[in-house]
Amino acid sequence: MLEITSTPLVLIAILGTVGVALPIISIARKEKGSNSFYAVIAFAALIVSMGYVGYQFVSDHVVPSALFSEDVLVDDAFGGFFALALLIVAVFTTVGSFNYMRRHNSPAVYYSLILLSTIGMVLVAYSTDLVMLFVAWELMSIPTYVLVGFMKRNPSSNEAALKYFLFGALSSAVIVYGISLSYGLTGSTNIGEVIRGYAALDPSLYPLALLSVGMFIAGFGFKMGLVPFHQWLPDTYEGAPPTITALLAAATKKAGFAATIRIVVMGTVALNVDWTLALGILAVMTMTVGNVAAIMQKNISRMLAYSSIAHAGYILIGLAVAPHSSLGLQGSLYQILNHAVMKGAAFIAIAGIVTTLAVTHIDKLKGLGRRMPITSLGIVISLFALAGVPPLAGFWSKVLLFGSALDASATLGWASWLAIAGVLNSALSLAYYGWITRKMYFEGEKEKRVKEPKSVIGVMVFSMIFLVGFGVYPEPILQFVEFATPVLSLGLMP
Amino acid sequence: MTNELVDFTLVSVALLGIGIYGLAVKRNFIRMLFAVEIIINAANLNIVAFGRYLSHAAGESLALFSIAIAAAEVGVGLSLIIVAYRMYQNVDIADFRSLKG
Repeated sequence: MLEITSTPLVLIAILGTVGVALPIISIARKEKGSNSFYAVIAFAALIVSMGYVGYQFVSDHVVPSALFSEDVLVDDAFGGFFALALLIVAVFTTVGSFNYMRRHNSPAVYYSLILLSTIGMVLVAYSTDLVMLFVAWELMSIPTYVLVGFMKRNPSSNEAALKYFLFGALSSAVIVYGISLSYGLTGSTNIGEVIRGYAALDPSLYPLALLSVGMFIAGFGFKMGLVPFHQWLPDTYEGAPPTITALLAAATKKAGFAATIRIVVMGTVALNVDWTLALGILAVMTMTVGNVAAIMQKNISRMLAYSSIAHAGYILIGLAVAPHSSLGLQGSLYQILNHAVMKGAAFIAIAGIVTTLAVTHIDKLKGLGRRMPITSLGIVISLFALAGVPPLAGFWSKVLLFGSALDASATLGWASWLAIAGVLNSALSLAYYGWITRKMYFEGEKEKRVKEPKSVIGVMVFSMIFLVGFGVYPEPILQFVEFATPVLSLGLMP
Repeated sequence: MTNELVDFTLVSVALLGIGIYGLAVKRNFIRMLFAVEIIINAANLNIVAFGRYLSHAAGESLALFSIAIAAAEVGVGLSLIIVAYRMYQNVDIADFRSLKG
């Protein structure tokens, strides 16, 4: 049994109470505005939760990454790692909304939905039972459908929400079907039992087991934006409010990866089938399609949406080579944390630009370096970190990822091609990141500086310190990632 | 007993096929939502059939969870459709084309 003070339960208590209380407070106060009042409450709840996760780590209450447990939730380092990354993004979104939501109605509902969705994401990372995972998955998804369509009178927000909803509902339908098959084959919904059941499966039932793992990949792949399942993603990221796009790109996507690592990677190890090739092809397709499409974009949100598809591909390299190299999952986890900070910061910066200048077209960003110096610097540092330029944090995670592919090539001949594809793609991505930078700093008339929103400056400063600081001195994060990475072997079974 | 299980699974696979067909062919948003619902119910049927075959209670409880969650999901989806209908006066997916790249 889980203790009552274990991290997931305490997080449910804090975030759930505040999330449910916010709309009630707003009804009791009988007023509509006062965005910052609710934002401060939500911010405080998120910071307290982050503090609790951190405290659990520092006080050694966290067990090393287990992946399996007899319970439905496990308080392990893997879940804690994801909880920290996801809470950072939720804090970014809340802080960015201080400014963004000022002109919009019903802030209480907005922040409440962000908190509820955050609980869902965190629980996805902690869950070790398929039923729990499915419930958490839906708790994460359903609030985001509403949040994407939050600007009711804006046609593009509506359209984004409808497309996102349709694909999201399809992805959960596919996941339930996968769960039904794996339950039927193994007679249990506990992930550990399911994996053990797969390992001992009658070979004549293998096709069904493969079908269920394939359905999990497809279902989670919709949220992660892997390439055959990515059509909704650019539209949704462009049409949604940019603060919510930050939440989608940096957080719900990562929860998808957490679920994939918990189920698919272990499932493929148990089935003893070589899925490395399938995942490797998916990875290369995802990053190539993402980067090539990003070059042609004129809208900065849409460009970053395609770049986040490409990044799903980089992260997938680590998952693909995980059975052959212990560095694979470490690289993926490190890249997940970095990507959460980089993409979160970039989209919050866009939210700041949208509220002050109301532009998203890249040609209109000319001279932004003089008009909004701190925001532009934040964007540029995030973009170069996304491209993996040393000495920023994004460099080390890419080194780890591509290094893991080279490491795996000792037992898996073609794995080094993954590293080559990754390096070529990073070089390609530098082209469009550099293009934005050129527009912002070297083009345009001399224009006056405009006032930048303070909350956006806060996010920018935090992300710059994170990306540059851990880029120059990556040691603590590397140790943390190593501690949080689960060891892949069937001997860990309960 | 085993034959019964096969019957149920066959129906479930047929429903899955109908759902995928509906998603691929229909262009009306509500019809597409129906198609997704059919897939979810195919999975529920599967779960209940397996639960009965294995004589577990876990299957039934999982199916109940999934029905309740699907209901919440449809609620959100229909409300999004109503908002879109007020704006566009129809729910044809071909009309939602303001976002492209």
